Amino acid sequence: MHSTHLIARGACRAPLPRFLMWIAPWVALFALGAYAMFLCLSQGLFHTNMDNRYAFGLWIFLDLTVIALGAGAFFTGFLLYVLHKKELKAVINSAVVIGLTCYSGAMVVLAVDVGQPLRAWFTYYHPNVHSMLTEVTFCITCYLVVLAIEYVPMLLKNRRLKLVPSFLVFEWELHKLMVVFALIGTLLSFFHQGSLGGLFGVLRGRPFAFREGLAIWPSTFFLFVLSAMAVGPSFVALTTWMVEKLARRPLVKPEVYDTLGRISGKLLLGYVFLKTVDTLLWINQTAPDRGFAAHRFYQHSAFGTWILFAEIALFGLLPAFILFQPKLRQRRGFLILAAVMACAGVTLNRFVLTIQTMALPTLPFDRFLSYWPSWQEFAAFGAIAAYAVLVYSFSYRYLTLFPQEREIALAEERS
Amino acid sequence: MFPWVYGFEWHAGYLIFLGVFFTVAVVVVSTVMLALFRTFRDFRQGRAAQLQWASNFHDLPPQHRACRHALTGELEGRVCEQNFDCRECTMHASLLAKQSSAPACCQESEIFGMPVPLDRYYHRGHTWVQAAEDGSLLIGLDELARRVIGKPDSLTLPAPGTTLVANSPALSLSRNGSEVRILSPVDGAVTAVADPGEDWLLRVKPAGNFSPRHLLSGLEVKAWYLRELERLQLSMGLPEGAPSLADGGVLVEDVASVCPKSQWDTACGDLFLNA
Amino acid sequence: MTRTDKASPAAHYAMIIDLDRCEGCGDCVVACALENNVPPPNPKATPRTGLNWLRVFRLEAAGRDVFLPMPCMQCGEETPCQSVCPQKAVELDPATGIVGQIPERCLGCRYCMAACPYQARVFNWWDPQWPAGMEQTLNPNVSVRQRGTVEKCNFCHGRWHAAIEKAAAAGGRGPVAYTPACSEACPAQAITFGDLNNSEFAALTNKPESFRLLDSLGTGPKVFYKTASTAVRAAVTGAAKDTPHA
Repeated sequence: MHSTHLIARGACRAPLPRFLMWIAPWVALFALGAYAMFLCLSQGLFHTNMDNRYAFGLWIFLDLTVIALGAGAFFTGFLLYVLHKKELKAVINSAVVIGLTCYSGAMVVLAVDVGQPLRAWFTYYHPNVHSMLTEVTFCITCYLVVLAIEYVPMLLKNRRLKLVPSFLVFEWELHKLMVVFALIGTLLSFFHQGSLGGLFGVLRGRPFAFREGLAIWPSTFFLFVLSAMAVGPSFVALTTWMVEKLARRPLVKPEVYDTLGRISGKLLLGYVFLKTVDTLLWINQTAPDRGFAAHRFYQHSAFGTWILFAEIALFGLLPAFILFQPKLRQRRGFLILAAVMACAGVTLNRFVLTIQTMALPTLPFDRFLSYWPSWQEFAAFGAIAAYAVLVYSFSYRYLTLFPQEREIALAEERS
Repeated sequence: MFPWVYGFEWHAGYLIFLGVFFTVAVVVVSTVMLALFRTFRDFRQGRAAQLQWASNFHDLPPQHRACRHALTGELEGRVCEQNFDCRECTMHASLLAKQSSAPACCQESEIFGMPVPLDRYYHRGHTWVQAAEDGSLLIGLDELARRVIGKPDSLTLPAPGTTLVANSPALSLSRNGSEVRILSPVDGAVTAVADPGEDWLLRVKPAGNFSPRHLLSGLEVKAWYLRELERLQLSMGLPEGAPSLADGGVLVEDVASVCPKSQWDTACGDLFLNA
Repeated sequence: MTRTDKASPAAHYAMIIDLDRCEGCGDCVVACALENNVPPPNPKATPRTGLNWLRVFRLEAAGRDVFLPMPCMQCGEETPCQSVCPQKAVELDPATGIVGQIPERCLGCRYCMAACPYQARVFNWWDPQWPAGMEQTLNPNVSVRQRGTVEKCNFCHGRWHAAIEKAAAAGGRGPVAYTPACSEACPAQAITFGDLNNSEFAALTNKPESFRLLDSLGTGPKVFYKTASTAVRAAVTGAAKDTPHA
């Protein structure tokens, strides 16, 4: 059969040769990264530039970042299925694909990052429940399963697959139960987003990262949850906008952007407030209590106090302000700029907690260390980025990621 | 992970953690199992065809889901919520009750050069239904469908004895490498298929008492046809300024032969409600 | 398992390192590596990727070179590395107070390395390799670790195990006295090893010239340092302003 038969009726997609030209460089990048991963897995992690002091590097930093950005999947689902924000139906499929690629990609990188990936099952079989990493491992794998289940209806609605009667009926029945998965996804995401923050907040040996908190959870637990929820909708808006630009056609109605921006702005404002309070508590109490004056953390040229300013004010307060103002966020350029800044802010936050924590000396006679990732580290992560682009491209081409696309196209023709 | 595995602790924290994990696992697995079970039940109870249609209808853009009373102007801009099955619709029932009596009109009508006989009922998927004297129903494609499809490359008709469900695919045909499924206008069992040359395609013995309540008839057919022609033009994406029906043009005899394949495919999807 | 029911009354092994005696000869490092089957460094290894259970820092204070041997501190309070390990590869043995690393269970996630304030933990970035014939010299009491796992000083756990078995064979129960390889090898006798439950030894750690590194973090390290020079002490604990490089 002809390939157009896989593409939904009325969806205007590039001809196959152009699509192949688009994916070719990504396939190449993926192949290079796969080779780098093979080197690490088969010969050892000496292929990276991590070392005994810099035990976490580029991979952990970017894993944390993509998982924060992928939070749009659970949060959009929560807003749509639990809080009934109907307009978000326009982006839920896209958000699920983004989440699925982010989480599965992060899992693959983690599997390369650990020295003995074949022992990963130990964590499930002999869990140490006091470790934040245990919680992260359990929640992320469970959530990945949930995301895969959420992806199934989209797949079954492919033009060819939906001709199979049982597929379409199963899709219908599964979709009716989607609220269960939205709730489970929210529960799991709440805990693993938090535990990823807790991962560093509990490090009592690392006063730069250590935070007091509530019960067993350090403050970074809650800040990570909130920042992921705040930036998730921004990232969904940003990716939708990028796909619109690449496809050269509108895919969602303007009010979808507005809703995403509004929610992102409100949460970001709350996050910036709490982050500020947390930072002040840490500077004035937590760090000094553990024998470290906070200014010592910022006396190294690369990581001065500018980083605090950039994280909280420039990439936190400013985008929050733009998104909070209806007049500003209604202008697409401002909304996208703010979304980019919000994503940059959360990226910087993850960078600070991983890379800066590793770089700063704890022993008084030790010094500041620098680290630059090896090509294998860049390539391996490049493979994940390429994988995400490929999965998204195929999904966009053959599945319905933006259900409003046809409606908008018809309305545009009419006018 | 289990009490007999090394490292298991009888601590509150440990038990809560594993309790939550096992609960999540059980909920996820049982929800999927529930969906599977319901799928099997739907097939057993013969509801699968309805659900398939409901799923497809759900995917149609709102422009293609207009209520029949919106076509006639009675209810401005209303979108159908009953999957084009007016038999269950309370809104339709109340509007019918208001009408004093259905205007009887059996004359031939012509819309933009297309004959649209009004002695029969029309389905939104461009089939017509005509009651025969023996109580069976004849089903055929209407003029608009005939002109859009032209001469199909292949035509797959259901074998006599096949049970048809209203709004689920009754027959399929292909042209230009695209498959088009034509929806059944009625519930019933196929008793005969037409020989080539007949204007009908299927003869159906209705299931129970035949109710045409969900089908279009009389004056509303014209309103519907006008809307369908507009839909066709939109879905073929005719450029602005192109000669259109509103300018007094007529639909060509074989649309498929004059229209690019992908546009024709889209148009068929829209016209025959194949989302 | 490091726990043993033979040693019912707990010991709290600890170490006192005399900074005024240490001359930085490095004998302790060599003895440690030989005792614990630490493989020779890979040709490509750097000081940051090599395997050392015991490292000697050098800094300048009070007008002289100060050498600072650093084994694992065996933190006894809220042990940072133990609580973070996702799969129980780190255990604090209540019978000895030793923080044990079980390489067979280690996933190699390196979270414990990030958690350790003393950088006492090292990762097997390469496959361990011994020159031909040298594997004959491996210590049978200590397991060899694989690539991709974390390892660290365990106060010569193999020696402790040998000692307790010997004591048990002689009908003895309870804590045993033994000496780790570094302490034994030190020509200057700068490393004293003992049991904090032994009041005589505990008294040594309570002397005013004794101190611990990063005491303020509250992790309860069990390696003590001592020096008579306040300048040296200030440099090591960070009280001095100008902290020279390692």
